Amino acid sequence: MDLAQLTRNLEALRARAVGAAAAAPDTAALDALEVGVLGKKGDLTAILRGIGALPAEDRPKVGAIANEVRTAVEAALHEARSGLGGAELAARLATEALDVTTPGRPIRRGSLHPIIETAREIAEVFAQFGFVVYEGPEIEDDRTNFQMLNIPPDHPARDLWDTLYLDVEGLLLRTHTSPGQIRVMHEERPPIRALLPGRCFRYEAVDASHASEFFQVEGLMVDEGTSMADLKGLLDQFAHAMFGAHRPTRFRPGYYPFTEPSVAFDILCVICDGEKCPACSRTGWMTILGAGMVHPVVLRYGGIDPERYQGFAFGMGVERIANLRHQVADLRLYMEDDLRFLGAFR
Amino acid sequence: MRVPLSWLREFVDIELTSEELAERLTLLGMEVKHVERWGADWEQVVIGELLTVERHPRADRLSLTTVTLGDGGEPLSIVCGATNIAPGQRIPVALPGAVLPGNRRIERAEKMGVVSNGMLCSGEELRLTADADGILILPADSPLGVPLADLFGDVVLDVDVKPNRGDALSILGLAREVAAATRRPVRQPEIAVEEGSGPPTEARLAVDVRDPDLCTRFVGRWVSGVTVGPSPDHVQMRLLAAGQRPVSNVVDASNYVMLELGKPIHTFDAAAVHAGADGRATVVVRRATDGERLETLDHVERVLAPDMLLIADPVGVLGLAGVMGGATSEVSQATTDVVIESAVFDPVSIRRTAQRLSLRSEASSRFEKGQEARLARLGADRTAQLVRAWAGGEIAPGRLDTAPSEPGRSRVAFRPARINRLLGTSLGSDEQRELLSRVGIETEAAADVPVVVALQPEVLSVAPEADGAITALVPTWRRDIAIEADVAEEIARVRGYELVPSVTPDTEMPDYRPSPLGVRELVRDTLAGAGLTEVVTTALVSPRHVETFVLRREVPSVGGEPEPGGDPVGVTNPLSRDHSLLRRHLVGSLLDVVGTNLRHGTEDVAVFEIGKGYGRTGDVPREWWRLGFALVGAAEPRAWNRPARRYDLDDAKGILDLLAHRLGLGRPVYEAETAEPLFHPGRTARATITGRLGAIVGELHPDVVETWDLRTSQRVLVAELSLEGLAAGRLAPEHAPVVGRFPAVERDLAIVVPERTPAASVEALLVAHGGALLRDVRLFDIYRGVPLATDEKNLAYRLRFGAPDRTLTEPEIDAAVAAVLGALPAVGGRLRT
Ligand SMILES: [Zn+2]
Repeated sequence: MDLAQLTRNLEALRARAVGAAAAAPDTAALDALEVGVLGKKGDLTAILRGIGALPAEDRPKVGAIANEVRTAVEAALHEARSGLGGAELAARLATEALDVTTPGRPIRRGSLHPIIETAREIAEVFAQFGFVVYEGPEIEDDRTNFQMLNIPPDHPARDLWDTLYLDVEGLLLRTHTSPGQIRVMHEERPPIRALLPGRCFRYEAVDASHASEFFQVEGLMVDEGTSMADLKGLLDQFAHAMFGAHRPTRFRPGYYPFTEPSVAFDILCVICDGEKCPACSRTGWMTILGAGMVHPVVLRYGGIDPERYQGFAFGMGVERIANLRHQVADLRLYMEDDLRFLGAFR
Repeated sequence: MRVPLSWLREFVDIELTSEELAERLTLLGMEVKHVERWGADWEQVVIGELLTVERHPRADRLSLTTVTLGDGGEPLSIVCGATNIAPGQRIPVALPGAVLPGNRRIERAEKMGVVSNGMLCSGEELRLTADADGILILPADSPLGVPLADLFGDVVLDVDVKPNRGDALSILGLAREVAAATRRPVRQPEIAVEEGSGPPTEARLAVDVRDPDLCTRFVGRWVSGVTVGPSPDHVQMRLLAAGQRPVSNVVDASNYVMLELGKPIHTFDAAAVHAGADGRATVVVRRATDGERLETLDHVERVLAPDMLLIADPVGVLGLAGVMGGATSEVSQATTDVVIESAVFDPVSIRRTAQRLSLRSEASSRFEKGQEARLARLGADRTAQLVRAWAGGEIAPGRLDTAPSEPGRSRVAFRPARINRLLGTSLGSDEQRELLSRVGIETEAAADVPVVVALQPEVLSVAPEADGAITALVPTWRRDIAIEADVAEEIARVRGYELVPSVTPDTEMPDYRPSPLGVRELVRDTLAGAGLTEVVTTALVSPRHVETFVLRREVPSVGGEPEPGGDPVGVTNPLSRDHSLLRRHLVGSLLDVVGTNLRHGTEDVAVFEIGKGYGRTGDVPREWWRLGFALVGAAEPRAWNRPARRYDLDDAKGILDLLAHRLGLGRPVYEAETAEPLFHPGRTARATITGRLGAIVGELHPDVVETWDLRTSQRVLVAELSLEGLAAGRLAPEHAPVVGRFPAVERDLAIVVPERTPAASVEALLVAHGGALLRDVRLFDIYRGVPLATDEKNLAYRLRFGAPDRTLTEPEIDAAVAAVLGALPAVGGRLRT
């Protein structure tokens, strides 16, 4: 065999292998082609076996051509593999496709009770103004629940709180969170900014708007110059936080034995915006809490000099706030604990 | 208090619409709850005149009438059953289509063969008077054809008078408020007593006040020769509009005065008052003797107690002072002479008596708020005047009066600057004085009495010269104004609270204090995230609850909270037996929630509550915070690609473990609880992290599922926990672990132990003997079956060893494992090979 023949054989192999690579139906054929052409027992090796018969000066020329052929075949194989592999991956991905429109695998959902959550939100608003949370006992004595709040025994104002009395002389279930005012004053010196959430009890037949167990949040602020203007400012902030930044508010006179002066705090009806509807008893306003300047008698029972210090207190029913925020019309829902109701809350 | 506007107008001019007036009163502190159109339910009722009245041809009791409406139209034929009618009378005619109170519809109808084009109305049918028998005969000058509502309709304001304003429980009192709101003068009622010429009151009537502490003034009057009968129609109309049922002219006179002036008055039949030794009818005011009896006006026999104040005579009891009269001395048709009692009683005594007997009345509710002494005289005179006007007779000259001298206005000093400091305003003192004058409070520029800051626990006052104090002369009826702060309220409410500016406080802030709610919030968020729903149940439960949900061994408190237990605390006046005792555990309430929801068809119930238990030792009450949860149904809900997995004990314990981790308390240690009757004896555990967590967690005993009527075949998991910080906690910051740069080495050990050996004791042993290099122990498999004996189980643990400063060597680990293996016999265990 001479140089020219060998060279032709090599070129022929290149042409055949490159053609076969391009035409291979799958990567398995390419693998077979690679072994058949470039493998140890492949065609290229077989052709090069003839190199020994050539003159010594021709041998490097054949080696150079053989390397070119090998490189060309490898390139053709690589190119063919890329094409075929992409198609095969695409085919596999296609078989793995899911119906992505099915619902997710359900994870059990819990909810937080709207009353406790509302109390928490109320506390958050006032926390921003430096109010810290205190708590008092639910079993109270008559003295703290009434007398120290300027409600003596047999006072007609006691009619405002229908009381559940306990089988221990002098003890009752607190009718409001207001006794907490006394407890905070005994614990702290001014400046005081206290918030007192908690469960309260009344002798009250249960219906859509009355509950015998309910939750209140009490607020108390006492300092040398704390005035009704401060009270108004804070309650305005509160109303805006809970009912929207532009919700109009008003003070009107109220009556509580433990505040003087006393006010009721109204917001413009959230249902009719003041147009007068049944929800606001056709007044255009909704009362959301009671408040006032702490009565000097209460300050004294709290051990605070009313000549030097003054302050305000407010108290609100958490259910009232929650009703307005969540559009709940029947108080009983809160303690019936029907998961179909509770499950709607976050 | 129901206030007919027409009545109010007698005392003050009103130019506002009723809605405007309602708003002004509300903003003055007299909240108007409703504005009622009185007569709104007289649709199609007009004024007519009877032309003819004839007997019905076929019914003796009926009359055939013709009625003109004055419109020139054909007269209407109307059949009528009343006997008090005659031609020429003006009467209310309900035309066909009319609707009367009670939604009674009037149509054209045939009555015994005669067509009736409507109906003539009685006062009772219109709820205008109490007379049901006769047709309401209207004044002769009533305009024909005019709707009745135009003439007799009214607007009634329902005013919520606060307990401190007894003076405003009257038309006159509210007229004073209207006057203040509209800056109009008040017209005082004209009280003019035309006394007769007969024997003076003193000669007929004596009063013996034996308990002057409870009766500070008694004014008596005597009217003789009255004719008891119905009051004039206009009086009945007015009383009805104000919510007071007409009774008779004499009784109505006293009720009228109560509503008009706010002074409760009692009238009795003078003949029922026995004479004393001097021959005069003698009224005795005294406390009851124990067990004394009285039949009150409502014909109920009452047993009296010694602290009740009575109106009596030398022989027996006439009535309960200030609360209700007695039946024997009631004014009746037969009464000719009337005794008028206008007294001032001790408010506390009246309130107690009315409460004890459950006899709260219009009178008692006024007495208990305190009465102005002056009103005793005015009320007696006004009643005598009205009795004579409506029932005839002769007023005996003079009145009986135990305390004729009437106290004047009280003097309350205030500092205008202090008022401003309280309100956050800057009103000049002249402006403050002017505002006070609108509610009848005159002022004197210099104070001659101390400024009273507080009256309890003892009087606190400052010298009058302080800060330019001013004296307010408080009208006698304003018993609520006694201290400086009361004056501030008057100024504020008369001026209107819009004057108070709205500012954010700029005073000093209090020291930081951690919220007592912090741990509770974290627990709530954790449990909601774990799929549980928070519930709130009542603290008051039934005796059955308390008896059923008893633990032999309570879950101990942690963090210094009171221990649970003691005796139950009961309510002495419960609304119902179902809410008569304070609960001691949350479990029962949670099971009620489970039951309710299962009955509603909610199958998967996972709920928790953070609440209190309550108990007492002797007279000392205590409250302790607990977390409770209950699980039933699917822990993992069924989905299209997965079956449901039901809650079991491991889920419940997993929740405990999660909470303990989230609160940084460590890992609970579980031990078997086999002796609590509420719980499954083989599926219940006590969990403990000493001083930080205590719990009982387990399956509810099938008997309890049954007796509590939960109606489920599913297992019900419940737990009750005490948790550090639940009461008032804050969480300590966690200490970061040293995450070693050197790899940990894991070794798995398969340990065979007897079935009865708790896993917790094996784990405790591994931890105790694992040495300083042992980082962590995890149970990852439990195997029972071949080739183990039937009473054996294989617990597979993964032990992690490591050191912060180096990679461990094989011999070190081997030594640690060998130490553990050497201790295994202590729990009856061996290494499975
Ligand atoms: Zn509205």
